[in-house]
Order: sequence, then C-alpha cells, then structure tokens
Amino acid sequence: MSPNELDESAVPPSGDSRTTPTRRTFIATTTAVGGAVVAGGLIAGSPLLDTDEAVAADAAPASRVSLTVNGTRRTVTVDNRTSLLDLLREHFGLTGSKRGCNAGACGACTVLVDGHRVNSCLTLAVRLEGAEVTTIEGLSDGDRLHPLQQAFIDEDAFQCGYCTPGQIMSGVGCIKEGHTGSPEEIREWMSGNICRCGCYVKIVRAVEQTAGRK
Amino acid sequence: MSPQPQAAVGAPLSRVDGRLKVTGQAEYAAELPHARTTSRGGTPTLKGVVHAVIVDASIGRGRITSIDTRAAERAAGVLRVIHHGNAPRLPYRDNSGSNNPAGRRLRVFQDNRVLFHGQPVAVVVGTTLEAAQHGASLVEVDYDAEQPSTDLTEAEPGEPTRYARGDAEAGLRSSAVRLDARYELARNHHNPMEPHATVAHWDGNQLTVWDKTQWVMGTHDEIAAVFDLPADAVRVVNPFVGGGFGSGLRCWPHTIVAALAARVTGRPVKLVLSRKQMYFGTGFRPAYRYRLRLGSDRRGRLKAAIHDIDAETSSYETFTEAVMGAGQMLYSMPHVRQAYRQVPLHVNTPIWMRGPGFASASFVIESAMDELAHELGVDPIELRLRNEPNEDESTNEPFSTRRLTECYRVGARDFGWDRRSPKPRSMRDGNWLIGLGMAAGVYDSGRYPGEARARLDADGTAVVEAATSDMGPGTYTSQTQVAADALGLTMRTVTFRLGDSRYPRTSPHGGSSTMASVGSAVVDACNKVREQAIKLAVEDRESPLYGVDANDVVVRGGRLHVQGNPARGETYQRLLARNNRSHLEGDGAYNGPGSDRSAYFAYNATFAEVAVDADLGLVRVRRMLGVYDAGRIISPKLAESQAFGGIVGGIGTALLEHTVTDHRDGRIVNAGLADYLVPVNADIRELKAVFLDGEDNAGNLLGVKGLGEVVQVGVAPAIANAVFNATGRRIRQLPITAEALL
Repeated sequence: MSPNELDESAVPPSGDSRTTPTRRTFIATTTAVGGAVVAGGLIAGSPLLDTDEAVAADAAPASRVSLTVNGTRRTVTVDNRTSLLDLLREHFGLTGSKRGCNAGACGACTVLVDGHRVNSCLTLAVRLEGAEVTTIEGLSDGDRLHPLQQAFIDEDAFQCGYCTPGQIMSGVGCIKEGHTGSPEEIREWMSGNICRCGCYVKIVRAVEQTAGRK
Repeated sequence: MSPQPQAAVGAPLSRVDGRLKVTGQAEYAAELPHARTTSRGGTPTLKGVVHAVIVDASIGRGRITSIDTRAAERAAGVLRVIHHGNAPRLPYRDNSGSNNPAGRRLRVFQDNRVLFHGQPVAVVVGTTLEAAQHGASLVEVDYDAEQPSTDLTEAEPGEPTRYARGDAEAGLRSSAVRLDARYELARNHHNPMEPHATVAHWDGNQLTVWDKTQWVMGTHDEIAAVFDLPADAVRVVNPFVGGGFGSGLRCWPHTIVAALAARVTGRPVKLVLSRKQMYFGTGFRPAYRYRLRLGSDRRGRLKAAIHDIDAETSSYETFTEAVMGAGQMLYSMPHVRQAYRQVPLHVNTPIWMRGPGFASASFVIESAMDELAHELGVDPIELRLRNEPNEDESTNEPFSTRRLTECYRVGARDFGWDRRSPKPRSMRDGNWLIGLGMAAGVYDSGRYPGEARARLDADGTAVVEAATSDMGPGTYTSQTQVAADALGLTMRTVTFRLGDSRYPRTSPHGGSSTMASVGSAVVDACNKVREQAIKLAVEDRESPLYGVDANDVVVRGGRLHVQGNPARGETYQRLLARNNRSHLEGDGAYNGPGSDRSAYFAYNATFAEVAVDADLGLVRVRRMLGVYDAGRIISPKLAESQAFGGIVGGIGTALLEHTVTDHRDGRIVNAGLADYLVPVNADIRELKAVFLDGEDNAGNLLGVKGLGEVVQVGVAPAIANAVFNATGRRIRQLPITAEALL
C-alpha cells in the first residue's frame, strides 16, 4: 500500500480533539517561529527554540507531510529521520504511544494507520502522506471509553501501564482482523506486544470479551 | 479507639489510575515536561527541552586516549558534546544510606578510565532527538584497550561472606544419602517496558529532575550528593513508573549525565536510554555458579547442607543480595555451611531483581529437594513436610506466621497433584512428554521506616501523600484503600499522591515492603486525622456526638457516628463547617518492626505442568498454580495480577532469559528485546493464584507480609522439576533451553 494513493478527502473529520492541538493552534505555532516554514515544522513540539538553532537544524533533510491524527488534519515539515512514534511523542505531544525498544520488538508503540496496527517506531513519518493515524488518545469517544479500554480496567489487564496503549491499539486491530476465534488465536496474534508485568492472561480475557460483544 | 470498619480494604477494586493508563494520559518520566499542568504535583510545562544521547564505550576495559567531537559539533542541531575532557569536576560526596553498594561508584566523565563495555564516555546534546542521535554516531573515541575479565568461571573471587551452624562437613559425611550438584544461573535483565529516562531542569541553583525511579528520595539524595547541593535545592518527580522489578532502586549514571548536560547547556535536557543501553546503563540479576551438597537420612530427614555460591559483581562496587537466606531457614537441619563470594568483573554493577537472592537460591535448593525426593522414592511434598522447621533455625526466632504446609495441601488439591506419576517419562500427550513439578518459595519481606501526611478538607475529601512509587503493583489503589478505611471515607473521596521528593520521606519501593512500611505510615497519618475529628465532635456542644466517649466513635462514608448506633452522628463536612475548620491534618510515621523479634517471611507453594516435545526438547508451560501465605491481602484483584506477573517473570527466568556476553571484549551480544527473550502472550496459558486467608501482625499495622517478590520465588524450580518429571532429565542450568534437553 502506498500512502500516496490515499485520498485525503476520504479522511473523516472527528468530533473529539481535546487532547490534540487543533489545526488553528498548530498554524499559530508555526507562525510564531517567524516564517521559517521548514524549521518551524521541524520543531513543532518545541516552539521556543532560538532562531539560530532553528536555522542550524534547517540543514537536516526534511519533508512536508500531511496526515490525519485522531481526526485532526495536520501538515508538518519533519526531519526525514523522524519516526511516526517520535513525531507523535516529541512533536505533537501525544505521549500515549510508548517507546519500549525502538526496534519493532515490543509493540509498545502500536498505533493504527489506515485501520491497520503498525509499530510506529519503525514507520517513517514522511511516508505517511494522506494517512489516517489513530493513537490511544483518539480511541475513546469523548469521556466514553472504547469497550476494550473499559475491559482492560475491568479485567485489570495491566499493571505499570506502559505497554497498555500499545496492547489496546493492538487489541483493537486484532479484533478488527477477526483473530479472536479462541484464546489460542488471541494469544498468537497479540504476541507482538510484550507486557513485562505479565498481564497476558487478563489481556486475552479483555480482548476476548470485547470481541464477543461485537 | 474503636477499630474502623473495613470497606475498601479486601474489596476487589479496579485501579484508581486505570482510566489514565488506558487513555495514554499517565505521565511517565520522559513525558512529564510535555504535560499540561497536572492534578498531581502541579508540574508546569517545560519550555525549550533539548535532547541528550549518550555515547557508549566500545571497549570492555582500558583508557580513552582521545575524543574527536568535531564532526558531531558541526552536525545540524547539535548544541554540545560533553566528555571527560571538558566536563566540570563533580563533588561526588559520599551518600550513606543510599542503595549504592560498597565501593567507589562510577563517576561520569570525571576521568579517562573505561570500566565496562557501554560505560558512558560522552553525551551529545541536540535541539532534536534525531540531531542528538546522529551527533552521537559521529563522536570518534580512541582507546587504549585492555582485556576485560567478564567470565564468572574464570575470574578470581573476592573474600566470602560466611554462615555456619553445626558441623556441615561431618554432618554430610555421616549422611546416608548425599547429593553434590553444581548449578549455573544466567544473568537476567529487568527490562521494564519503559526505558529509564530523565528530564533535568535547572532554575538557577534549583534542580528539578523527572526520573524513572522506584525511590524518588534515593535519587534525590544521590543527586544532592553528586553535585553537592543542599537537600532543598533538588526535587525529583516521578508519578508513574513503567515497570521496575528492581531496576529503579538506585540512581544510575545517566541521571547524573542528564543533570550535568542541563547544567552545561543551560537548557532542560531529556535523556532516554535506548533499549540496548538498558543492558549496561542499569543493573541486572547477577549470574551465579552455585554448588550445593546436601545430606539426609534414608527417610529424607535433612542433616547437612554446604552452599558454595559465586556471583557476578562489578570491578568498582561489591553488590550483595539475600542469596544465603533460604538455605538457612527454609528447612530444618542441624548442619549448614555457606560461603557467598562476589566475583569482580569488568561489567556494570548488578541490582536487585524481583525476588532478589531468594529466587536464585530457590532454584538450587528446590531442584535439589526434588532430586533427593526422587532418589529416596518419596513424594516431593512429603519430603518437604518431613523437613518443616518449628522456628527459624538460623536465629532461633519463632515464625510470625508460617503456613507453608497449608500452601502445599491447598496447592496439591487444587492442582491435582495426585494425578502426577512419580516416574519420569510416564505421562504423554501425543509427542509431548508431560510433567508435573512443584517447589516452595520464601521471601524475607522488608519493613522500613517511612512517613506519610493526610489532610481532610472541609468538603469531606482527603489527600494523602508519601514519597513512594507505583511501578505497577497498584500503590495508588491499595494505599487509597487503606487510607479510605482509616479515615472512614469512600474510595472516591480520597486521593493518594506519590512520586515527589517533596512528599513525606519513605524507603524504596521494593523488597515487598511498600504496604507494610508506607501503608503503616498512611494508617498512622489517617488515624491522627480521624482522631482529631472525633475529639472535635465529642467536645463540641453542637455536635450530636457531644459527650460520647471518643473510643466509641467510628467513621463510615464520611460520617462520624456512635459505634453500634449509626443514627447518632454527623458528617465531617458539618463538623468542620460548624467549627470553621478549613481542614484537619495529620503526619504519620512507621518506625520499622521495632522490638518484634519474630521471623517474618512470606511463603508459597508453586506448581507447574509442562509439556516437552520428545524430539525437539521444546518446553511449553501448560498451567501453573501459586498458593500464597502472604498475610492479609489488601487489594485482591491487583494481588492476583501481581501473582500472575511473578509467575510470568519466573517462566522467563526458567525458560528464556539469558544475557550473553562476548568475553573477548565484554560486549553484551543480545542487548535487545528481539534477542534477549522474555515471555510473550503465546508463552502463557493457564495461571491460577490462591491466597490463604489470614493476617500477620508482626511489626506492621496492616497484617501484610509483602507479595511482589515471593510470587516469583519458586517458579523456576517448579518448572525445572516438572521438566524432570516429563523427561527424566535434570537440568541444573537456567534458562532451560531446547539445546540442554536434546
């Protein structure tokens, strides 16, 4: 699948953007760094950097990318080396997606891109032109939790909570894929998400229950 | 005072911080400066945070001869490269009372010595993470390398710590049945899912550090000592810990690096260790070589044991843990001799990991007991029952409570132990050999002094604070339960805050000590508040409780009333409003076990059923059961999760986890989650946890015995014993790999 083939108009606007900057505040941020469009985009999450630093950073290869995050359309110019995870965490302040290994081995960074679960640490941000990204911050409907979020609380399917956003996003993907026919199948298809606290039994229960309610 | 009704304690409640965790709003160390003003701690958003990336030594031992930083400094976005050639000299005051082991702690960028592979040799600060990462790759370091010594079996051990009772040599010689076995336990790394991370911000001489730690006060004290700052100049904040298992029990060098980089650059600095750096930037459960000689009579009554224990430590600090404990008190026997030697290697210093010492020793002792049972033709549980002690034979102290035999009985019944054939290789399921095994577990839970503060506001809500942590067991929830009952409030009207060095001082969040220690201080603080309110009421002519004996008043749901007469009373809100009190406050303390002289341990019996592929040696754990004698269970729903977590951790130690070092240059070759294997979902099937009802009031107000450690102790040997039952192969090394079984 090439991100370029995605139709931007197919991206639906979403109601809830409480946890994300709106398009308006984002534009205001880029304006604040004084017309240096590239640098402004580069440091979207750090608007108070000195101008000379911004100019120095300007030397790094950067690209402009438009993507939808949790229903909000964002256009940003980023360093080509930036992963989707770092774009979310360091630039957009969406720290719900976690960095566990930065090598695609733990799943803590799992988000949905165009409805499919991906390791955001292995996904370059500039490849996501037109993509629709859903992170843990965009999963609930206002104050109403997604059923899988509620099931995680009810089943106590987490302890430290650090892998939890990735587990839940992965679980949403797993349910959508239909890989929930049995506990065995769920275990297999949820094995890309490590929980070092060892909550697997309860994670499987939460996914199984949520899938059963669908 | 009348005992308070217990409504919250013992109830299977969901986590109070659950919503924050499932919505991605819980703020871990690297995330705090992005936070909007938070409800807990009121941390303001930091402006202009820059990123730091550490450059790791690429030799295992030697000296840095030159550092060329020109290319890095020319790179876009790089602000500064700091190393021993340009770093300010740091005072590194002694820090007594810390968790730093004996020795001379690693001093970052203070000289050109390299003590282990991966030691920080420079840090690159950049305006973006990408710039700092790229800059770090451009720093050229030349070394005068020496051969590191990293092999536990080759290096020269230090002086042993010894224990002896009776005459173990003579006891062994006169034993009718003797066992002499050598065990190898691999190094394990904690690998919490959250990498260690620090954000450091100087405001003049005031330093604020957001740091992943299990002990904000310990990190606070270490930073103050390293930079020689007054205590009130340092603040350490950490409301959420993304797993720890011990890795956050001391302040590691990278935290100092971040604070130093922030000092040098004058900017707030964020430093997140890579997963790879976690393997040498933080500690680990040390590898062991352990020889156990065991002697018994023909009926299986133990007579003597000789333990020769060698463990890894670093060349600059001598790490010790309680690996001698279980061998002294788990079973009754007259003659014991132990020698525990640390072997200094060119590695970084270990740190306690879940069930420290006891988990390692239990693999050895419980494997040997299983071997002895097989030799004697006695059931493994029966053998243990025949050696059950009546007191702690190392101190001659009585056990506060010890219900291990009950754990065996309940476990045997629940697990279907009677279906086990004692004959190895006699149970099959197709090509899978089936085996059942069990082991005992014990842990010497901590009870340490600590403080807490409680405040009841006029609106009938309360805030309780202590500088403890919640690395996952659910401190937020369980302390709220304890506080709610002591105050007579509902869960919803009590907020428990932790993770800030400005809160009352506590001991480390580790060693299964938090509930006994911090919980006792919380109860004390809340009792003081409740007693003030009761006193106010019974002395207030306007109160329906006027004139009532204070000892006859209880509080329930925020309402004070006469014990046994709920109609006569009033709410905290009315009482405080009428008396024009904005709030009531209480400082609580726990002073440790004090004069309590009983032997205070938590126990378990752990059972495992494994299937071993007869041709390939693959081991699959089919089901496990833990039965726990852990005193009172404050939060049953969370306790079950904790028990499952311990079992999963133990399965990792038993079958997967193994840090591999290349002895040629001291490099860890599997420093990552793709190569250092930990259990994943597909590895875990049926788990069950049973908690014996009861309490143990030895030196703590809550009747608890600690849970987080004991749940991992005994898991690895239960699996090893099940593997023996399945295959007839006695594997005396961890992890038990397919190769070992082929």
